[in-house]
Amino acid sequence: MSIVECKDVKKAYRQDHLFVQALGGITVTVARGAFVAIAGPSGSGKTTLLNLIGGLDTADSGRITVDEKTVTSMRQSELAVLRLYKIGFVFQSYNLIPVLSALENVEYVMLLQGVPQRERRERACSILDEVGLKEMYHRRPAELSGGQQQRVAVARAIVSNPSIVLADEPTANLDSKTGKELLQLMEKMNEEREITFIFSTHDQMVMDYARRLIILRDGLVTDDRSRDP
Amino acid sequence: MKKGIVVIAGFSVLLLLMVGGDGYAQDAQTIVADSFNYWRGEASIATVTMRIHRADWERSYTIKAWTKGEKESLFTILSPPKDEGNGTLKRGSEMWMYNPKIDRVIKVPPSMMSQSWMGSDFSNNDLAKSDSLLYDYTHTLTGTEVDEGTMVYLITSIPKPDAPVVWGMQKLKIREDLIFLREEFYDEDQKLVKALDFYDIQILGGRRYPRVMKMQKTEAPDEYTLVEYDDLTFEETLSDDLFTLSALKTPRR
Amino acid sequence: MHLQLAWRNIWRNPRRTTIITIAVVVGVWSMLVVGALDRGMIDQMVRNAIATLTGDIQIHHDGYRSDPVIENSIADPKDVHNALARHLPEGSFWTARVRVNAIVSNARYSTGVTLVGIDPESEARVSFIKTAVVDGHYLASDDTTGILVGRALVDKFETKVGHKLVLMSQDTEREIASRAFRITGTFRAELEATERQFVFVNKAAAQEMLKAGNGISEVSLFLPDHETVDMVRDKLKASLPPAYEVETWRELLPIITAYLSIMDSWIFIWYLVVFIAMGFGIVNTMLMAVFERIREFGLLTALGMKPWWIIKGVLLEAFFLLIMGMAVGNAFGFASVFILNRTGIDLSALGAGAEYVGLPRVIYPTVYIQDVITANVVVFVLGLLITIYPAAKASRFTPVEALAHI
Repeated sequence: MSIVECKDVKKAYRQDHLFVQALGGITVTVARGAFVAIAGPSGSGKTTLLNLIGGLDTADSGRITVDEKTVTSMRQSELAVLRLYKIGFVFQSYNLIPVLSALENVEYVMLLQGVPQRERRERACSILDEVGLKEMYHRRPAELSGGQQQRVAVARAIVSNPSIVLADEPTANLDSKTGKELLQLMEKMNEEREITFIFSTHDQMVMDYARRLIILRDGLVTDDRSRDP
Repeated sequence: MKKGIVVIAGFSVLLLLMVGGDGYAQDAQTIVADSFNYWRGEASIATVTMRIHRADWERSYTIKAWTKGEKESLFTILSPPKDEGNGTLKRGSEMWMYNPKIDRVIKVPPSMMSQSWMGSDFSNNDLAKSDSLLYDYTHTLTGTEVDEGTMVYLITSIPKPDAPVVWGMQKLKIREDLIFLREEFYDEDQKLVKALDFYDIQILGGRRYPRVMKMQKTEAPDEYTLVEYDDLTFEETLSDDLFTLSALKTPRR
Repeated sequence: MHLQLAWRNIWRNPRRTTIITIAVVVGVWSMLVVGALDRGMIDQMVRNAIATLTGDIQIHHDGYRSDPVIENSIADPKDVHNALARHLPEGSFWTARVRVNAIVSNARYSTGVTLVGIDPESEARVSFIKTAVVDGHYLASDDTTGILVGRALVDKFETKVGHKLVLMSQDTEREIASRAFRITGTFRAELEATERQFVFVNKAAAQEMLKAGNGISEVSLFLPDHETVDMVRDKLKASLPPAYEVETWRELLPIITAYLSIMDSWIFIWYLVVFIAMGFGIVNTMLMAVFERIREFGLLTALGMKPWWIIKGVLLEAFFLLIMGMAVGNAFGFASVFILNRTGIDLSALGAGAEYVGLPRVIYPTVYIQDVITANVVVFVLGLLITIYPAAKASRFTPVEALAHI
């Protein structure tokens, strides 16, 4: 059973006076519970593909479904609802709201979802404990290391049990040791909570962690292989 | 008859000069009343020239005047032509003015009473209340002097307490033959405000009479108004019809 | 948490927040102070006018107001006395006057005035005149030759207490009536024009001079509670024959009444002018604040926040800025008005110019609650309305551009 289906997805950008073909017809299916890396050199279309799946951007043609809902035919407001309830995001940088503490950053998404305050607090605390930030509830992002910030971002992404988490180069700003710890955390969450993870990277170490690796080059899938369990 | 009064008045003065005291004022009263009546006559018809002199201009009017008793007068302008026919009627303390150009008679309201009459140094009040001197003042003979061989009474006139007059005091010079020589108007601080002088005494209308009057304000030495008699006749009486509003509109020449 | 987020956001840049707050403070302060000055000025004008001679209500004979001559007087005030006895509320005062145009003269000067014949005792309780006497003394009830004259008139006439003035007017028989009076006292009034316009004598003296018998020109009333003016007017009107006119000060002073109604619009316009100056500051600063945080808004959108929520967030920030500025501005405004109200603002330095336009000599700024409410509502509502612009900008950043934005 697949959670994400992409069928002949195309996307071009206008850059200055040139059209740049970011995605040239991608057809990919991701199964529920997968732990997938999309890899490729910069400019290969990784981020664009993640943005399209997450409904942050719209495709020129083709069809994308997430959890059996057709993203490519949704209006902006429907996309916002989809993102809020079904999709968690982890970005390369600037993941957190700087004026809120770690705990509040995690709670904030639930606030938008309308979760009652007491429940919000309990769930935020337990997820932060789970990602190893028990002592850091009340620190502001600026008072946390890069790795700790990304852990908060992961905690925020999974706290409301989304169908998938999309992570765009989550380790790019981290040293390799911290990056590895973050990947181990994501892997653990993937296994324990059965949340699908799709992340983009160009780091070999990260690719090694993925159970499935999709390689993009110039907007096309050039390789798609699964690691044996 | 007039002469008789003068003689009696003259004797009385002498008498009082000797006696002194209270009766003195009473006597001055008589002098003023008699000379006022002498000046006005029972009734008169006159033609006068009024010259209004100012620092940079002078204007004159020829005016025909009728008077009767103390209270009634009618003035009408003969020249200059542009003012011809303008008239003023006075009866008692009321005054009316007539302007032939607009053919309207207006009763001079209180607000205009203190204004100048025809731009001269006489105010409407000076005309309307010309007899105020007789009723509103207590006159005291303060001395005598001799002018060109004739005795002149010096009289100080103080307004009665409730009298509606603005002056603080008047000083009069009246010749023993009842001819006014000078009337001075003082304010309450005894400062001279204006003075009326009478000159050029000659026989006019059958009696000795000052042919020229000059009204001058103390504060404006180069401004004055001269009234000169060109012609004067005294009458026993004049018809009451003369002092009516219709006569004001069409005065007899 | 929305409140916390907004509150913390505005303190991310304390300097900017301080600047906006100061702009709001200055705006609100100037709205209140200038409003209070205007109100104080007009209040003073109304009070002067009422205390000068108008009173809260006046009763005249029909026709007197259009032609204030002695023939249009109330020949027999008995009806009026009865009506007053029955309908005046407790604590009211009234006085009857003879009031005609007259000419006052002395040896050198002469001018038109309003001759007011008063009953010295009851007049003292209704109008300013008794307390306004500065030289000499107030009229005694039996002094039929005394006259009270304004300081300015005394100066113009080069006269003084004890000297004589001759009044001339038209009596009931349309004859010229004149009478001599002696100055018993001189009075000062808020307006020099008042000092030049009115002379006061005993009512009996005026009646005698004008051959008016018991006739009076007007009755002036002073009520303990000014709010009841219209009610009392209606009662008096109903109980008097139709030949009487009963009017409140609003009807008697049409210019001041017009002034009063203009004042409301004028104050509102002043608020808008201040607000426009302030509004530009707010919009600019909020736009800066929004553009600095493009990435953050992008992130929030990516997390699934709807545009409306983002607008609400920015408005919430503006709300805090406005509330802070309004609180401080109101506090300063009230404090300033309180201080100025105790000392008063002396305009006499402005001299003749201020006199000419009818300004009182001293202004006591007065806060009207309705003005305070208007000022705050204007700042608050318009402040939020104009913030919709930067807020809408913030909500329109797409996550892709925003997150790509460095």
